[in-house]
Amino acid sequence: MAPAPIAFGRPWRVTGHILCLALCLSVVAPLVLVLGTAFKPANEIYDLTPWPQRPTLANFARLLNETDFVLYLWNSLATTFLRVAGQLAIAVLAAYAFARWRFTGSTFVFALTLGAMMIPHQLVMIPIYIMIAELEWFDTWAALIIPNLAMPFAVFLLRQHMMSFPKELLDAAEMDGAGPLTALWRVMLPNLGPAVAALTIVLSIDCWNEYFWPLLVTDTPGARTVQIGIRQFLEENFEDFGALMAGVTVASVPVLAVFFVLQRRIMETFVASGLKG
Amino acid sequence: MDVGQPSATPLAVVAPRRARFRGLLPWLFLAPLLVPLALFVYWPLLHTFFLSFVRWNLQPGVPMEFVGLANYDGVLASTLFADAAWNSLIYVLAAIPLKVLLPLPVAVFIWSLGTAGGWYRTVLFLPTLISFVIVAVVVGWMLNPIAGHVAALLANVGGGFGNPLASPDGAIVTIILLSGWKVFGFNVLLYLAGLASIRRDLIEAMRLDGASDWTILRRLIWPLLTPTTFFVLIATVIFSLQQVFTPIDILTEGGPENGTTNFFYMVYQLAFRTFDIGRGAAGTVLLFGLLLVITLIKLRALDKRVHYQQ
Repeated sequence: MAPAPIAFGRPWRVTGHILCLALCLSVVAPLVLVLGTAFKPANEIYDLTPWPQRPTLANFARLLNETDFVLYLWNSLATTFLRVAGQLAIAVLAAYAFARWRFTGSTFVFALTLGAMMIPHQLVMIPIYIMIAELEWFDTWAALIIPNLAMPFAVFLLRQHMMSFPKELLDAAEMDGAGPLTALWRVMLPNLGPAVAALTIVLSIDCWNEYFWPLLVTDTPGARTVQIGIRQFLEENFEDFGALMAGVTVASVPVLAVFFVLQRRIMETFVASGLKG
Repeated sequence: MDVGQPSATPLAVVAPRRARFRGLLPWLFLAPLLVPLALFVYWPLLHTFFLSFVRWNLQPGVPMEFVGLANYDGVLASTLFADAAWNSLIYVLAAIPLKVLLPLPVAVFIWSLGTAGGWYRTVLFLPTLISFVIVAVVVGWMLNPIAGHVAALLANVGGGFGNPLASPDGAIVTIILLSGWKVFGFNVLLYLAGLASIRRDLIEAMRLDGASDWTILRRLIWPLLTPTTFFVLIATVIFSLQQVFTPIDILTEGGPENGTTNFFYMVYQLAFRTFDIGRGAAGTVLLFGLLLVITLIKLRALDKRVHYQQ
């Protein structure tokens, strides 16, 4: 951030800090409570002290040994990886076409792409549900991945970045005999590294955290993702709060860890993704 | 080029073929996007429209029966629809002070801190990263009368009421507050992006003219933030209708007594709880109409009223 553009008087500054600290506390307190409870032994679960007196890994052991949580983690990890890889490949190609060439119908097709950003899952769930039933895709990775491969927001964001790339360099590459794919792969993409990295992380978080879609297309334990697994765990082992909070911790820590690596860029990309609404 | 070589295909023929290939090229790049868009977005939209005129319960053996507008009549006349409409209004109205108005002064204050504000920004952003499932599960745990911390604290200070999720009013307030917690920092970030785009020389110029900081805020920054504010408003309205699906499903499943259901949850209830596909589709078409109106308002306003040239 740039230096302060405006300076409030002291009373306002104090008020502002108090408000912000209170808000930050409201964010951090539940996180501390969850983390603390995840490491509490069974006899401390009902204590009001948020952190454990005698920390233990028993909750994690119970979670991993007595439930299918490892399977849920594997399903989430694998489908997130495959889905994001597919979304990126599709978005890079399409964004390149929109950024590089003007052609009959390009405006219309781009409008269709943008329009799809405003159509949430709930508006198309019934026909897709029927489709998946006919294909017998319930409880498969295919059902989690394939209907979500087109990611208009990713196309939009990559197109913005590609449009600011000098066309002369691409022309020069093609003059030297490079095909359009080579120009995209060798000339354009190496220059989009940070943008693609941030986009990858935002898409991955989006997929990892998703609830509605896996709720719609999975039913059996073998196909569940982490998010569905946690919800199921709440219903089935209602009283084992220690293991539940261990599950919550395992499901959130990867996301937060990845965030802190590329913080700034990720927040910018999130803002851009908000622009889709 | 081919000078001197006896060419079977004259250049005049080769060139158009190349041109035709070049004309096809963008479509080759776009096909992997357009096929799934057509299959999983636009065709299902049309199909939903068709399904809204039939009666069907998802059983493959049972034939669909064309019923005209009966599904629309059924949805619009139902108490579920009336409750969902009322709750949707509550969700949106409650969102405005909590998620649109309050983040603005917080963002301005963080902005005024310059680099030092980065910490607040980052911490407030954390809830955006945590899934709504987890937020809902943790809230459900904390409010739980057996082991919940909030319940225990309230009991300590003498507020001995039971689980707020058990009453319609308590449940909707809970969901409103937790969705506020989830989106607050994100909206602060949107305002900060708007503030960052304000040109510093305009601020300096006003200051040279002797304007106080408050005048600068009121006369320069606030007007320049109108597009951002409007954008946050629209995004939050849609968010407040759509994203609360998850906490509703996990904490209350629309209840108690339809006290927390909204339009998005209603179409899910119709289609996948009562398996009334026709009514579910009719509700979806109505919801689509609503979202379309919101989007058109947004596009119109962004075109005309709320923009300033810096």
